[in-house]
Amino acid sequence: MNAFGNLVHDSFATQARVPDGRPMGPWPESVCCRLDAFPCEPNVLANLILSPGERAHWISMRAVEKRRHEWLLGRCAAKQAVGSLLERDLDLHLPPNEIEIVPDPYGRPLVEYCGAGPWPAAASQAALSIAHSQGTAVALAVLDPGARVGIDLESLTHRRQDFEAIAFSPDERRRLAALPVDLRQEWALRMWCAKEAVGKALGRGLSAGLLAFHITRAEVASGIMEVGLRDGALDQFPQWQAKSLIVYTARESNFVFSATIYQQGAVRMRPSRQEILDYLLQKMGELTEDWDYPDPVRPESRLFTELGFESLDAVVLCTAIQEHYQTPMPFAELLAEIGQQQRDLSIKELADFVNTHLGGPAETGSATRRVQ
Amino acid sequence: MPNMTESEVFDKFAQIVAKSLRIDASQIAPDTHLTDLGAESLDLIEITMETETQFHIFLPDKSVLETAVEVFGPGILEKDGYLTEDGKRLLLRRMPEADAQAFAGDVAVKDLQHYFLKVGTWVRMIQGLAQYTPAECAACGGPMVPSMGFRMKCGKCGQEITLRSGEELNREWVREYYDKEYRPQAEAPVSATVVQ
Repeated sequence: MNAFGNLVHDSFATQARVPDGRPMGPWPESVCCRLDAFPCEPNVLANLILSPGERAHWISMRAVEKRRHEWLLGRCAAKQAVGSLLERDLDLHLPPNEIEIVPDPYGRPLVEYCGAGPWPAAASQAALSIAHSQGTAVALAVLDPGARVGIDLESLTHRRQDFEAIAFSPDERRRLAALPVDLRQEWALRMWCAKEAVGKALGRGLSAGLLAFHITRAEVASGIMEVGLRDGALDQFPQWQAKSLIVYTARESNFVFSATIYQQGAVRMRPSRQEILDYLLQKMGELTEDWDYPDPVRPESRLFTELGFESLDAVVLCTAIQEHYQTPMPFAELLAEIGQQQRDLSIKELADFVNTHLGGPAETGSATRRVQ
Repeated sequence: MPNMTESEVFDKFAQIVAKSLRIDASQIAPDTHLTDLGAESLDLIEITMETETQFHIFLPDKSVLETAVEVFGPGILEKDGYLTEDGKRLLLRRMPEADAQAFAGDVAVKDLQHYFLKVGTWVRMIQGLAQYTPAECAACGGPMVPSMGFRMKCGKCGQEITLRSGEELNREWVREYYDKEYRPQAEAPVSATVVQ
């Protein structure tokens, strides 16, 4: 059984095992799904798995049958991958037509929920990538708010004229030329796939130009490649200056696959201001639980005059906050400053302070400005 | 071939697309999208190469919007995946044939990619670039024939020229637009706050 009930047999949808059963990369937390054929008649499948919004798109698609069918196959693989992921990691069992895949303004697929039931916020944090070519579709998904994923595939049997002159830089062509002749076509495709996977993971595709993505290393034994950014791609993603993305590539019969997963910035996503405030209120509730304090703790509650905090309590709180967010913050200066000014600190102000030091946008006019 | 009409360019381009995608040319119209015809990323590369060979032109490898964003810097023409008013103005100026309605309201970058993959958009781009490929040698008037790489050679006197690259031409256009139209307007006191 899988998220599709008996509709998609597991021989079609191979969970977490890409191309030929070997894992694509070192990511046990990810789920990959591959489909080589429709499990049933395409229009029947569309009615079963697509959300209302997706179905409207399916009906309005003016494309040739190949394109429409591959789009549907891609959606099917994506929903299978996301469904399995939610089932495995969150014990969430959702019918595929309640999982909606919506492109962001740049075209990167986002996972949304369009059913009526409760939907844990964690489920929206699934990162997803879809690829299709020549009647085969693959999807890679991972449940991690900081992760970005990219997957691609190309068919070796899809005859094309030599595309290397346009797709690769002189350096990359030299790299290819150094390979044994019988490997060249496959490795040209692997290098192309690697660029595509990186473009998808970053979220803008290859819009910055084909040569803005540069293969800096290609290991024939393992299929591992490194891709660096330059020119326009580096303008878009300056954090990749002097760094490379690792891409895993593999060949299975007539297809070449590539996949990459990376953590954007810190592993953790920066919490929102509201989340920080909620955490502080909850923490204060715990700390003052046994205290003889009549009113519930509110954002406006002041630590010292209202809640009866003493300096030692403040130190305990500040230590807990820093441990919770794994980030040191200049609490000593904050406390010294409010001591000097002989004023109190509300929980809301404390949340603003934490927010600022976690890199969040500062609230104009709030106390945190002065404290900095 | 600087003097081809739009319909001549269309017919020839449609043949290239049909052959590459193994479809019938009758399926192709100016408002058809290449991806709707089943083109995958490498098909687009094949179509690009074949177009360059047959029209003797050097196509850009990124959209004029990408080049413009590189020239203008981030956040001015496009923000969080949507065109700004400045971005819409630039594109409408560049593509006067585009339906102004298409630029009403929120315009996402992904929708533009769709526009850039229209057959008609390619045809106009090809026609525009072909203007820079001389049919006759500037020195002796002999016929120009393709040479190695992006070069043409005079069949009579042997003089060689390098084709103008589409990206370079896009960049020149964007720089001129920036200097002559965008900056004077952006620096005008009234609109200065809008631009920031």
